[in-house]
Amino acid sequence: MTAPLTTSDVDTHDDVALDHPWKVIVWDDPINLMSYVTFVFRKVFGYSKDKAEQLMMQVHVEGRAVVSSGNREKAELDVFRLHEHGLWATLEQDQ
Amino acid sequence: MPAFFRRRFRWKNGRVVVDLPDDEQDMLRHVLPQLRELVMGETDPALRRLSPPARPDDADAEAFYRQMVTDELLKSRLEAIEVVEEGIGGTTLDDAGVDSWMHSLNALRLVLGERLDVDVIGHDVLHELEPDDDRVPIVALYEWLGWLLEQLIEAAMNGFDD
Repeated sequence: MTAPLTTSDVDTHDDVALDHPWKVIVWDDPINLMSYVTFVFRKVFGYSKDKAEQLMMQVHVEGRAVVSSGNREKAELDVFRLHEHGLWATLEQDQ
Repeated sequence: MPAFFRRRFRWKNGRVVVDLPDDEQDMLRHVLPQLRELVMGETDPALRRLSPPARPDDADAEAFYRQMVTDELLKSRLEAIEVVEEGIGGTTLDDAGVDSWMHSLNALRLVLGERLDVDVIGHDVLHELEPDDDRVPIVALYEWLGWLLEQLIEAAMNGFDD
């Protein structure tokens, strides 16, 4: 029996070939003001007030939230901009 | 109007007007050079807060990311500090100017929050310190910076569409 080519055979380092494989996560921290985190989400991502507040609350309550996704380059740039603003952000590859 | 009631940041004609009383200007002139010195160094524990790891799951990827962004992030922070220092006496901020002020005020808060161990002890303890506790002046500075930042956010929010 011949096994079909599955996604696990695809080189996952070649992230250009995959749709939105990287995600940007913001983690809860006790220092950054809630109003500030909301503002940064609106400013950096252009999110509406509602969406930015909902993400901020998710960070606050659940400890983390995925705030954006995209190819690796975009995710790295997003993390950089969040770090510039002093937020605790990381990126990881979507499994 | 007494300085106490004066808004430090106001929205006017699509920009943010900075209007700080003299003593608050002096305080910023006093702390910003210390922030500059801190970000230019490599050993201060507060740098962990200003430049947290981007890839905590992967040491090689983290090293690569660091190499890529460290200079850029430092340049951005130093430029932001400079913009604030130039405008302390009174200025009008466009979008980029607002970013510089936010980055710098928030960076100062993060450094002080780290010094005060807010991550570990939380905020409540800080409000119950004995008057002779060494941390009292730091807490006052930390709270003042938070209060300034809130006012800047409130003014700058007028720039959003909704």
